[in-house]
Amino acid sequence: MKAFTALVHRELIEHRGAFLIGPLILVAVLFGATILAFTVGRVDARFSGALFTVAPLRVFEVGFLGFGLGWSLYLISVLFFYCADGFAADKRNNSMLFWKSMPVTDFKMLLSKLAAALTILPGTVYGVALLSGVLLFGVAYVTMLINGTGTIATLASIVGIYGQVALAILVVLACGLLWYLPAMALVGAMATAVGRWAIPISLLLPALLSTLEWVTLGGLHPFATHTWRFIEYRSALPDPPYAEDWLTSDQPFSGVTFAADLVADMDWLQVGIGAVFALAVIYLASEYRRRVNDN
Amino acid sequence: MSDLSVSAPAAIEPIVSARGLRKKFGRKEILHGLDFDIPPGRIYGLIGHNGAGKTTTLNAMLGLTSCEGTIRVLGEDPFARRAKLMENVAFISDVASLPRFLRVRELFALLSNIHPNFSIDKARSFLEGTDIKPEMKVKHLSKGMIAQLHLAVVMAIDAKLLVLDEPTLGLDITYRKRFYRRLLEDYMTEERTLLITTHQVDEIEFMLSDIMFIRDGELILHMQMETVNDKFTQLVVNDDAAQAAARAYHPVYEETRFGQTVMIFDGVDRNLLEPFGKLSTPTLSDLFVALMQRPTANPETAR
Repeated sequence: MKAFTALVHRELIEHRGAFLIGPLILVAVLFGATILAFTVGRVDARFSGALFTVAPLRVFEVGFLGFGLGWSLYLISVLFFYCADGFAADKRNNSMLFWKSMPVTDFKMLLSKLAAALTILPGTVYGVALLSGVLLFGVAYVTMLINGTGTIATLASIVGIYGQVALAILVVLACGLLWYLPAMALVGAMATAVGRWAIPISLLLPALLSTLEWVTLGGLHPFATHTWRFIEYRSALPDPPYAEDWLTSDQPFSGVTFAADLVADMDWLQVGIGAVFALAVIYLASEYRRRVNDN
Repeated sequence: MSDLSVSAPAAIEPIVSARGLRKKFGRKEILHGLDFDIPPGRIYGLIGHNGAGKTTTLNAMLGLTSCEGTIRVLGEDPFARRAKLMENVAFISDVASLPRFLRVRELFALLSNIHPNFSIDKARSFLEGTDIKPEMKVKHLSKGMIAQLHLAVVMAIDAKLLVLDEPTLGLDITYRKRFYRRLLEDYMTEERTLLITTHQVDEIEFMLSDIMFIRDGELILHMQMETVNDKFTQLVVNDDAAQAAARAYHPVYEETRFGQTVMIFDGVDRNLLEPFGKLSTPTLSDLFVALMQRPTANPETAR
């Protein structure tokens, strides 16, 4: 377990640019721009502070949820590129033989990459997302203080909002990672064999499979097949009704209710099948890596 | 091929044992049924031309490629049990294979968690007196420094077998000398076995206890260095009459250098050759050139 944990940590070291340094720079730039905007008078602190008094809680909730959405989109894209790149990195960096000189099986090596994609890498981005939320709330609260509307009670409220939204983002993250696990494993397995070509192949593969079904089994057109419908189904996270209900209501956002709703809406059988599929393709990729001596 | 070998006493379990080792890439057979044993505590030189099958043989030992025939390293099937085997085997297959994204201290920290026989203190001590600092990234080190670092890494692993495949390729003479001196002084013990391939054979000759010459996928010589010294004789002869007389003993190799004729003899009594000129033991590189140009070093046992 110690070796496996070290291998997972190694992935963070190798890909810290995309998962830690990049997001931190992004936050620093956004924070700097915000401070600058206030400093040069582009944004009037009193006006924005007054704005918060109109619907203070909703502004904080929507703002942080929006940040969460942005960070989720960032995470999806970097995880996709990580799987297509990280699984082939040992070969590309000419370090395959070094890692093969370690007392670790190829399966364990690839599994550590997948484990990193599920834990430490998204966890790091989540940490940065929380930091961005703190900065967002900090700036907003300071403008309220400047405007004279910031009180201890408001501070307590926004701390509560922060916790609720942070919980919601965490649960979306966890469910999303489990939901997209087979896709990540498949891209990683393909990258083990074909390197970065896994990027176009994984984008083309759904269309190819769907077309094959259309050619062999018939249908209205290549995108009206069982394969395509399944891919569409597996491409989108369940959309819990709570999110829409809350948007049209004046109730405070409840992370707990949202999380419970999302967890209940998940197709856990599909998650289980996806996990088995992920392990199977990683095993096949590890056998390929074991047998093909590229160096 | 076992006839060529000067095997260790039967009671000693060989570190490496190969029987009928064959490897094909497509239709081309690279290894043609190698048989050999490597006993513990020896320093072996595996020497051959480019494409002779040295790296394929090493890869078979290290479990990096599957082969026909049987190969056992420390009693294990390397291809089936590579991960387990690597607890007791260390290798450098390419000086540039260290992960370039890591800092030296990160590399050591990772290895101390990944490899049960890696000693971080030993690794640090091996780097003392070098220009390599813990905060340096591997990608910022020079070629020589990377070789030093890689050597420090493998020497800090308490392994029974160390395999070095062209470890000093591309390094200048200073680094190469330092590399081998370090290896001998700080690492080699009677319990450890070292197998090394290099094209700079003269530089490792002093440290070898055994040699294996491989040519076109076949072992043409597998011998202890003491036996090589006894078996092969180099004769430098000037006058034509002496040359003609010496040729009667069938030199395995003959060439003219700076107006002198140099002959290498296999298994000819030195007393018989003494009257013809100056005798010496051929260097490993002379022997390599001599034996690689004839059908086999030991025609009577070759297949």
